Amino acid sequence: MNLASVHLHVVPEFSPGLEGVVAAQTAVSEVDGANGRLIYRGGYLIEDLAPVVSYEEVAYLLWHGDLPDKAELDALHMLMAAARALNKAGRGALMATDPATDPMDVLRTVVSAQGACKTLVKPTLDQAIALTAVFPTIVAAAHRRRLGHEIVDPRDDLSHAANLLWMMEGKEPEVGRVHWLESYLVLLADHGLNASTFAARVIASTGSDLTSSVVGAIGALKGPAHGGATLAARTMLDKIGSAENAEKWLREAHARHERFAGFGHRVYRTYDPRAKILREMAVKASPELHRTAARTEELALQILHEAHPERPNATNVDFWASVVLTGAGIPKDLFTCIFATSRVVGWTAHVLESLGDLRIIRPASQWIGPEPGKKPLARAKR
Amino acid sequence: MSSYVPGLEGIVAAQTAISMVDGANGRLVYRGYVIADLAEDMSFEEVAYLLWYGSLPTHAELDALTLELAGSRALTQAATTALNALPKDTDPMDVLRSVVSVQGVEHRLEKPTIPLAIHATASFPTILAMFHRRQLGLEPVKPRSDLGHAANYLYMLNGKESSPELVRALNTYLVLLADHGMNASTFVARVIASTDSDLASCLVGAIGALKGPAHGGAPSAVMDQLEQIGTAENAERWMREARKRKVRFMGFGHRVYRTYDPRAKILKELCARLNPKFYELASKVEETALQVLHEEHPERPQATNVEFYSAGVLQAIGLPKEYFPPTFAVSRASGWTAHVLEQSANNRLIRPQSEYVGPEPRKPVPLAERG
Repeated sequence: MNLASVHLHVVPEFSPGLEGVVAAQTAVSEVDGANGRLIYRGGYLIEDLAPVVSYEEVAYLLWHGDLPDKAELDALHMLMAAARALNKAGRGALMATDPATDPMDVLRTVVSAQGACKTLVKPTLDQAIALTAVFPTIVAAAHRRRLGHEIVDPRDDLSHAANLLWMMEGKEPEVGRVHWLESYLVLLADHGLNASTFAARVIASTGSDLTSSVVGAIGALKGPAHGGATLAARTMLDKIGSAENAEKWLREAHARHERFAGFGHRVYRTYDPRAKILREMAVKASPELHRTAARTEELALQILHEAHPERPNATNVDFWASVVLTGAGIPKDLFTCIFATSRVVGWTAHVLESLGDLRIIRPASQWIGPEPGKKPLARAKR
Repeated sequence: MSSYVPGLEGIVAAQTAISMVDGANGRLVYRGYVIADLAEDMSFEEVAYLLWYGSLPTHAELDALTLELAGSRALTQAATTALNALPKDTDPMDVLRSVVSVQGVEHRLEKPTIPLAIHATASFPTILAMFHRRQLGLEPVKPRSDLGHAANYLYMLNGKESSPELVRALNTYLVLLADHGMNASTFVARVIASTDSDLASCLVGAIGALKGPAHGGAPSAVMDQLEQIGTAENAERWMREARKRKVRFMGFGHRVYRTYDPRAKILKELCARLNPKFYELASKVEETALQVLHEEHPERPQATNVEFYSAGVLQAIGLPKEYFPPTFAVSRASGWTAHVLEQSANNRLIRPQSEYVGPEPRKPVPLAERG
């Protein structure tokens, strides 16, 4: 520590990455890392929830605190279907971007423009629904513009997941692919105080609007250390190429001190429950890639254990998500966007929850710079 | 796991050598220099250099930076088109957030660097000036590379050069607001940087946070309240009645300072000189506010914060009040980018914990059985 700070403050200890620091109280979700459990609002374990609910039901659950009955679910369907179209500002921003633009950058920009307002509005549930509804429209449009295809308008008779595939491809998607995509969307909808959700809450803590929170969260999710990890896992599997090549590739990568994409997590000390569900799903969703991935997982865990027997090394959600999304027909450059399409429900649920006890999040910093008070040299003397 | 700390108050979230808010002694320090020693003579460019590089520039270094900033003022074609697609009555903070997002797409997932910081910082005044002129139905004015950051911002807004006195005042404002420890917007920028995301992503998040009334959105609220109070004679009566209705006084109180904010002190003097009409009312309101607040909570260190006299200074410079928060962003862009560079040089994912306060685990009821 620098001398300056010693006599200036009694400085509390610096927690790098805020690891272990409790920054919010939440009922939206709980990551019980020690026991490998993910609990969604209402107290539901992810493995109980995932097989029986649609993405819309999970959205309702995270926003309202309990699962909807038939009438409530129908009402939400209608609200979401009606909010799928871009407004003039959103469409203008979309068309302003070069078609080759990274889809996450398009998403960040168009969400910002779509939510641009005349005056500041406090976050509401209606805005959360509208924002969530419009994500697939933006992602699909970015995708089609990249390919040089015409944009396909949303359909209000399709579910959230089915409509996303419809707008991407312009044809009715197969039931199996809708199921895999929808399962992914359900599993990724929230996950405690991850970096993007935390960014959304910090932005909300200043009294800012919902769009600002979501735009910041998209920016955070974009990072390879967060939402970009699914793409990294798939890229690694592509490089490995086949189950037969896995051992050679992994041993060589390990010797080069390369990190294995799709392994390790700050919170889980056991197998990620979402990864477990996705692993089972991957068998049918993408049999070929599953074979490579299963062998890769086996060897990667073995190599990591040999290197660090003391570390709880486990497969994370990104690894198996990359296989299931591939099976659902999602091109890998859209993985992070699809992650955002799911997580926007969690982001908005957290922001709405935080309004109940709004207090600006303004941590301290520890000064490690020069002793304060030196006099600046005049320009002529420098 | 430690217990929940509301607002992360007192939790050290980062180590930094960029700026220090010494709340107990009422000092703001940039890279070792006390703000009062910088505010009088330094240009915004010199301070930006200081924040980015850690030392004040030599003549040659300053010339090079000035040239690079001036050369980065133009918007990309996509950014210009996106700006023109936004409705004319859009909040300029939303315009800034959206157009900074587009302006950054050419550098997707690049590791943040000083050239990228310069590039982004240079674009803020252009975005605001272009949009302001569009609102007025006027043609955009091309940036002038012979003018400094402050002078060129005013030139692009108004289509003519402002007086040296006003340029100097804006420059001082930009210097004073350039950085301020781990405030909410800077912290957001660092959280986003911690995922290895790109500079544009960090900046749009920071702009979004600054937009909140509890952070940068307050200067216009100060104006609104002063307009309601109307005259110095009316101040005491209005304010005492307002307190009975639990109305907050705008421009007072700060989580960190326990004494008079050193920036507010400099802005107060500037305001007295440039905007005597505003000052007459504001100084009376300040006096009354501090007295009323002290009567209510003698134990609390109540002090005027930086937003209060900023309002008078920015008004004197000729900015409409919707442009106060984004002009704050014009200044703070230098601090945000400096923090992103510092964070990414020694990075670790910022991922705190939460405390679950929901129900105990239970089984879901299938849809058909609900209701």
